[in-house]
Amino acid sequence: MLGVLLRIPAFKLFRRLGRPRVLPLNLTLSPSPKCNSRCLTCNIWIKREYELTLEEWRKVLASLGRAPYWFTISGGEPLMYRHVVDLAQSAYEQCRPGVINIPTNAILPSIPETVERIARSCPQSQVIINLSLDGVGEKHDFIRGVPGNFEKLEQCLEQLRAVRRRRKNLTVGIHSVVSVFNVDHLDEIIAYADRSGADQFITEIAEPRVELDTVGLPITPDAESYAKAADRLIRYVQSKRFRGVSRITEALRVEYYKLVKRVLDEQDQVIACYAGWVSAHIYADGTVWPCCVRGDNLGNLRDHNYDFKEIWFGKKIQAVRSSIAAKECHCPLANAAYTSMLHDLATLARVGARLLRRGNGMPG
Amino acid sequence: MAFDWLDRFQHRLEKEPDYARKSLAAYRLGMKAKGSIVGVMVQPAPECCDAARRLPAGKVYHPDQAPNLPLPDCPQGRHCQCLYRPVMSYQHPD
Repeated sequence: MLGVLLRIPAFKLFRRLGRPRVLPLNLTLSPSPKCNSRCLTCNIWIKREYELTLEEWRKVLASLGRAPYWFTISGGEPLMYRHVVDLAQSAYEQCRPGVINIPTNAILPSIPETVERIARSCPQSQVIINLSLDGVGEKHDFIRGVPGNFEKLEQCLEQLRAVRRRRKNLTVGIHSVVSVFNVDHLDEIIAYADRSGADQFITEIAEPRVELDTVGLPITPDAESYAKAADRLIRYVQSKRFRGVSRITEALRVEYYKLVKRVLDEQDQVIACYAGWVSAHIYADGTVWPCCVRGDNLGNLRDHNYDFKEIWFGKKIQAVRSSIAAKECHCPLANAAYTSMLHDLATLARVGARLLRRGNGMPG
Repeated sequence: MAFDWLDRFQHRLEKEPDYARKSLAAYRLGMKAKGSIVGVMVQPAPECCDAARRLPAGKVYHPDQAPNLPLPDCPQGRHCQCLYRPVMSYQHPD
């Protein structure tokens, strides 16, 4: 983690001056869009791609060296991807990331075993598995479009908690997408997550993304509804006591919820976005994006001998970076927002101040 | 609607050569596999060609019947800014 903080000045200079040229520390890999959920808030599952093979992924990962600290293996449903264990292991062996983060819909019965294999094969990385929870009981099944999903989630969570007892590098979390479909029963979701025994509870807002083919769909709560939800989430975080690194991550979480409120209210890039400098996304067919919201085609790794650097330090990306820096876009994408917050001095100052407050383990 | 910029931004993106085939195949699968997609619409660009302007506004197509984008006589080719949009059951509850 210290290595990440030490790289912040370099990334700030990279964004401002174009030098020094640095590879991203936060990478999302989407090996396949296939998914067995039918969520109201996502249409990625309908896509079919000429997917990178495992051997192709290995070449890409080799080109990244030890730069990435945080990998997200996304989807579709990433734990449906046949080579997900090999992909995670390859990322681990070639890049030695601090964190490998994987969301899951918790449907397949093989998930706990697959997760244990990943945790076992990446022993020095923290493996985070976040189970998607968008409602309690039938409300979850309705939003996710799969009858019986909630029951499977409960079984999966119980089994993953057992795996966690054996694998100390495993974190099991619950992740909720706050949308127009559940914003009014968020209290129920929070209460469930709180008593679930999961290590963490995180949320992000449903938003239009080119990746998900949700542009123009009415899935995002209005600013007023979300503000109430965010306040509730902040109160929840503040009611808990955390220790160690969790104090920092939860303080950042409060900042994220406040940031999303402002983005919705102001319709602006409230803090400088570092997608395209610090974070990036590699889609199933080898296309590199700065982020999954815009989905700009920065180039396909197949056309660049699987060398990520050719795209990252190439010419095409420069116009996209200029567009992002000129605030031609704004969004509440959690993955990019957390990285951007680490590069925002005001955010860091607020987080630091909260951590220093005496007698309370949590941000106030 | 929130994030209007993204709608405008996506309209401006250059289309892949197989945009129509790939998009319509995806919506076909979406309807067949019992998701919430009930059809596809063509969202014309503000500066669209005459042929696009003549398309019936707001018409929901089955992917098999949707016109191919870019339309045959579109002078903008892959820079055509018209788009397909999925139509979801919760947008058309009837």
